[in-house]
Amino acid sequence: MSEILIKNASVCDPAQGINCEPMDICIRDGKIVERVSGNAKVIDAVGKLTMAGGFDGHTHSAGKINVGRFINPNDARKNPVPGLSGQVARTEKTRAQVGYNTPNTYAIGYRYAKLGYTTICEAAIPLLAARHTHEEFKEIPILDKMGLSLFGSNWQVMEYIRDKEPEKLAAYIAWGLKASRGYGVKIVNPGGGEAWGWGRNVTGLYDPVPNFDVTPAEILIGLAEANERLRLPHSIHVHCNNLGKPGNYATTIETMKLFEKVKPSRDRQALHVTHVQFNAYAGTSWRDFETGAPMVADYVNGADHLTFDLGQVIFGPAVTMTADGPVEYANARMLHEKWSNQDIELEDASGVVPLFYSPKSFVNAVQWAIGLELALLVKDPWKIMFTTDSPNGGSFVNYPEAFTYLMSAKRRAEVISGFSKMALDRMVLPGIDRELDFYELAVMTRSTQSKMYSRPEKGNLKVGSDADIAIYDLLPGQVDPSTEYAKVKQAFSGAAYTLKGGEIVVKDGEIEATPKGKTYWVNAKVPKSIDAAMQKDIDRKFRKYYTVSKANYMVEDSYIQKPVEIDTEGVF
Amino acid sequence: MQLVKLSLKKANKIPIEADNINPDNFAGKSAEEIKAIPVWYGNGQCPLGDFFYIEVEGSDSAENTKIVFEGDVSRVKRIGQNMSAGEIEINGNVDMHCGFGMKGGKVVINGDADSWLGCEMAGGEIILNGSASYYVGAGYRGEACGMRGGKITVNGNTKDYLGEHMCGGEILVKGDVGLLPAISNNGGKIVIEGNATMPASEMKNGTVIIKGEVYDLLPSYKEEGTEEVEGVTYRKLVGDVNIGGKGVLLIK
Repeated sequence: MSEILIKNASVCDPAQGINCEPMDICIRDGKIVERVSGNAKVIDAVGKLTMAGGFDGHTHSAGKINVGRFINPNDARKNPVPGLSGQVARTEKTRAQVGYNTPNTYAIGYRYAKLGYTTICEAAIPLLAARHTHEEFKEIPILDKMGLSLFGSNWQVMEYIRDKEPEKLAAYIAWGLKASRGYGVKIVNPGGGEAWGWGRNVTGLYDPVPNFDVTPAEILIGLAEANERLRLPHSIHVHCNNLGKPGNYATTIETMKLFEKVKPSRDRQALHVTHVQFNAYAGTSWRDFETGAPMVADYVNGADHLTFDLGQVIFGPAVTMTADGPVEYANARMLHEKWSNQDIELEDASGVVPLFYSPKSFVNAVQWAIGLELALLVKDPWKIMFTTDSPNGGSFVNYPEAFTYLMSAKRRAEVISGFSKMALDRMVLPGIDRELDFYELAVMTRSTQSKMYSRPEKGNLKVGSDADIAIYDLLPGQVDPSTEYAKVKQAFSGAAYTLKGGEIVVKDGEIEATPKGKTYWVNAKVPKSIDAAMQKDIDRKFRKYYTVSKANYMVEDSYIQKPVEIDTEGVF
Repeated sequence: MQLVKLSLKKANKIPIEADNINPDNFAGKSAEEIKAIPVWYGNGQCPLGDFFYIEVEGSDSAENTKIVFEGDVSRVKRIGQNMSAGEIEINGNVDMHCGFGMKGGKVVINGDADSWLGCEMAGGEIILNGSASYYVGAGYRGEACGMRGGKITVNGNTKDYLGEHMCGGEILVKGDVGLLPAISNNGGKIVIEGNATMPASEMKNGTVIIKGEVYDLLPSYKEEGTEEVEGVTYRKLVGDVNIGGKGVLLIK
């Protein structure tokens, strides 16, 4: 029986409405408990900001990131954040770390833990490539993981939607989640991945997908209904159509509106829209490109059925990677950059393109502003999850830097002072003086995630929750984040303590221990008869089209590290 | 003036990664201090004094520091890496990555060099009196820019991928070069006095002059009359048209 007592912590736990109040936290056997015995190890946290472990709900840390490593061998040499990236030699406790945007697996675990993060969600797993994703999960130390499986341009999905077979569709989703050991339904540019197979794309919610006689709107609603029928813990997780195109804010709002009629089967959102920064563009071309964030924020302020994340841009090198094949092709052509394209048989198409966000480029400057505008114009932080869509908007190692933008108008003004007049004319950020406090930051980095992923034991410090805890060397009330942002950045860059499952994994910003993390996956129960009918359909697909057989498809249990199976009972 | 003489105690089979042998690091140091500088040997670090006899005369700033290698250092890598001033003279062959990332100063090699000579260099000068292997003045894997400034003179021959991804600076090769010199170039100037095979593919910008024979000239170049350089008239080709390039390739 291992016990820890964290004494006199300055606790910020929005799930319980605790706003930086001094209190003790007791831990026994990896869980938070009411009280501990006198033998407990004591951590003195006087004067230290204490929150639940961070939870990155949308990151690319396994799977596609490996393609990023292949095409960016130069990334292993980059070192823009001293001490956090570039090459770091092995120590007695850690393995060697390389890379910045596409770090090796060990570096991902260590660096997240140093930031006080303890759980990540890999936001795109192609079913066919799931085994590899789990192999990478296994090699990412410390963190708990989950992954979202891709369904947005899947032949079987589109056929069931076209043929109006919602029960079989739900059965297919359940099978797909089980086959890929996934946690939820990810949809990327619905229909666009299939259109890309023909060198095309869809341009909005009502464009028919080539050869399938369905529209992106039908795919979205069909999958959302299947998702609710299966009572999945997470809602559908949507990367909207027209990502990265000027004028796309209209498509984004249209997509959000579409879900007003979807009723969630759990106490969570009906829709999560991801990396909205890339989908909140106004104007008609790159010439008259401007922010669309105020329009999106306006809609979100009046809506209660959705959550979203930012996809905040960080200036410097980034690597874009997404299951949106056509957008990556367009990026590569526009930027004259190297690229990789992957077509995942019947399931999706993805691409990887490196790029560089420069404050001198007015487009990049406006992109940077849009992420922050979204976070600051949307009033309720419980609708927002903080992300950079790492490494699409920039590497997660820059989160502390981004926090200072959210918490300090002065810091923003400093960055903005380097922008061109053209860039300033296209954004509304300079007129926003809102500054987030630690409580709101805790909501965006921990609490929203707990609710949107229906993981009540994560992202909070309630009795019974996992003892995933971050202690930062920073005392709210004594440090003013609006002026002393350098201190804020420093404190968040290397946690004083990070506890994972009650074990001290980071101490004074250094890795202390590297335990293995859990892998969450969802097993949704479907009536046998419906499952059998669906299996017949996919048997035919495998015989006719796939390069692998169905028997080789399933991710076996041996691939899953410390699996946590979440069972749900579908309604049929 | 500070003169540092290094001579190998005995030939080493396992390479020494001497990424800190440069005037910036040696300037103002005594023989004892230089002997204590750690270098990578296999998977561990050892003091430089374990491998070299070291003599120091005088003490001065980096600009006025000269390092002389007596004899062959064909298993010592990264000599002159990132140097910004001063001079290095190598009286023998040298291993890979010599002068990598150089910003200033001068390296003279009185022997042959292995691959990656002067790769990603930004300034300074390298004079190689023997021949070089692959990737002279190139960029490392994945980088968009190789050599950005400075000058490399090779009095012998070089092998394939001379000046790959070059963005600036100048390379002069007196002898022959191998396959695909000036591939993917974005700037800078390359003069080859000997022969070359398939030069300047995917070149976007920059100038390549080849005085000897050109084998397998790529079809993706557009002929635009002639140009005279230093009294010699060359055929002028512009490309690589495959990527809308504006590079200039001058051949006989």
